[in-house]
Amino acid sequence: MARHQVILMSSAIILTVMLILITLFIQHHYMLASVLFVILTFLPFVIRFERRKISGRELVLLAVLSAIAAVSRVPFASIPSVQPTTFVIIITGLALGAESGFVVGALAALVSNLFLGQGPWTPWQMYSWGMIGLAAGLLRHTKFMKWSIGRYIFGFISGILFGWVMNIWIFMGNIEQITISHILASFGTSFYFDLAHAVSNVFFLAVFGKAWIKILLRFKKKYGLLDH
Amino acid sequence: MVIELSGYIRQTIVKNNRGFRSFHPFVCFLYYIGAAALVMLSKHPVFLFIGAIILVGVNISLDKGKAIRQWWRMLLFVSLFFLIINPLINHRGTHILFYLGQNPIMLEAIIQGVIFSLSLLCLMILFASYNLVITANKFLFLFSKWLPQWALLAMLAMRFVPLLNRRLKEIQQVQKGKGLSVTEGPLKLRAKSGIQLVQILLTWSLEEAIQTADSMTARGYGIKKRSRYTPYQMRQKDWLALGYITLLGSVSIYGWYLGDNVLAINPILETIGLIGREWFFLLIFVIYIGFPLIIEGREAFIWHYWNRKM
Repeated sequence: MARHQVILMSSAIILTVMLILITLFIQHHYMLASVLFVILTFLPFVIRFERRKISGRELVLLAVLSAIAAVSRVPFASIPSVQPTTFVIIITGLALGAESGFVVGALAALVSNLFLGQGPWTPWQMYSWGMIGLAAGLLRHTKFMKWSIGRYIFGFISGILFGWVMNIWIFMGNIEQITISHILASFGTSFYFDLAHAVSNVFFLAVFGKAWIKILLRFKKKYGLLDH
Repeated sequence: MVIELSGYIRQTIVKNNRGFRSFHPFVCFLYYIGAAALVMLSKHPVFLFIGAIILVGVNISLDKGKAIRQWWRMLLFVSLFFLIINPLINHRGTHILFYLGQNPIMLEAIIQGVIFSLSLLCLMILFASYNLVITANKFLFLFSKWLPQWALLAMLAMRFVPLLNRRLKEIQQVQKGKGLSVTEGPLKLRAKSGIQLVQILLTWSLEEAIQTADSMTARGYGIKKRSRYTPYQMRQKDWLALGYITLLGSVSIYGWYLGDNVLAINPILETIGLIGREWFFLLIFVIYIGFPLIIEGREAFIWHYWNRKM
């Protein structure tokens, strides 16, 4: 846990320094800055997991959870813009911790895109879902997340933010010419979908959240997995 | 069924052993990174228009344009959206074409909209062919070099997807008997029964996962370094292609650095026609983007020539 916090602190410091440097010096290289931002927030966790010695059981557990998160949209094909993938990822973060949440989030995005076809959005999806899982895991012992309404708020915000991050890939190559009204226009067209996503997250968390956390915690205890 | 399947597999194997797809995955991947960068950096309507045509050609040479036909709705929607929205909300510039109500429509904004939507279009067509060339197998091969643990995890998860899909269908059938339906009834109930299905899948699969893991351990997981399913090797032609891609890619990026790949719009609108050095960089851009087309064309030509000789 201690090493985890060191990594987290140092990346937070690097990011703050970077943000200050950008505003001071390289005002016009937004594209470079945002790519750097994504890489610096994403890579430390990717590398950290790669270095860890992980048992076969934990590995398969994470793989199954990611596959479930990816597959879970299948029964919802008949309900447009409602999918429980984000819900599964949040629950994983809450029950199994930040790192597992991150791995399952990033992997669920990658795996579903390996099947559905990859596009410029793949890295952004990996990033947003990975970060949602990570945030859920980091906040899991706080009072806010223990409070059920706090969890609903988290689900709602992550649904909206996911949509916003996903809009970014469209602007990547053209960020210098982008005005605020461009961004508002694109957010406006996607707003309905983002809202549906956010509301369905809250719904799933409210109706099934506790039961799912219990299932995962029981499983974890039964086999002694992912105990740090 | 068996004959059909083996025919399909043979077809895929043949497809992957010829033309652009026969190059080392790293070479193909590098081409796509470079092409995506160039398509995003070269903000010139002439460059992007020719680029889009070439990329469509690449798709046609790879799969007769099947992937684009599948995607065309999205391609059209995204590019038209920005083509129309840009002149409506962007009023910077000096050339007023006409007024739409109170809003001046600028020539600059229209050109910018064209560049923007062409660049998005190129990027999306590029990814359509990316999915044909860098198959999941090759992608995981690339991954396993730098991030072996992630690659193993991704492979495991990928293996579970079809299995879980089948299980979901089974669960759905059983639950139907209990009256749980995702397709009928009020929205709230449908969403509820949908997640109920996933919950059953979760408890079922978690227990199963332990068995899979134990069988992995029994077969020696983690004892030695893992070998690869398809061992790709760099051959002479791969090194040549690598050189070609790096050389042309860097020259083309240098052109962007000089400003020749970019149409200046503000403060002064540059003419759209190309002048002098810009022609040279257009040529470089075209032969970089067209690399797969050159390879496929060369093979088709040789095939044709051999047929004639026989």
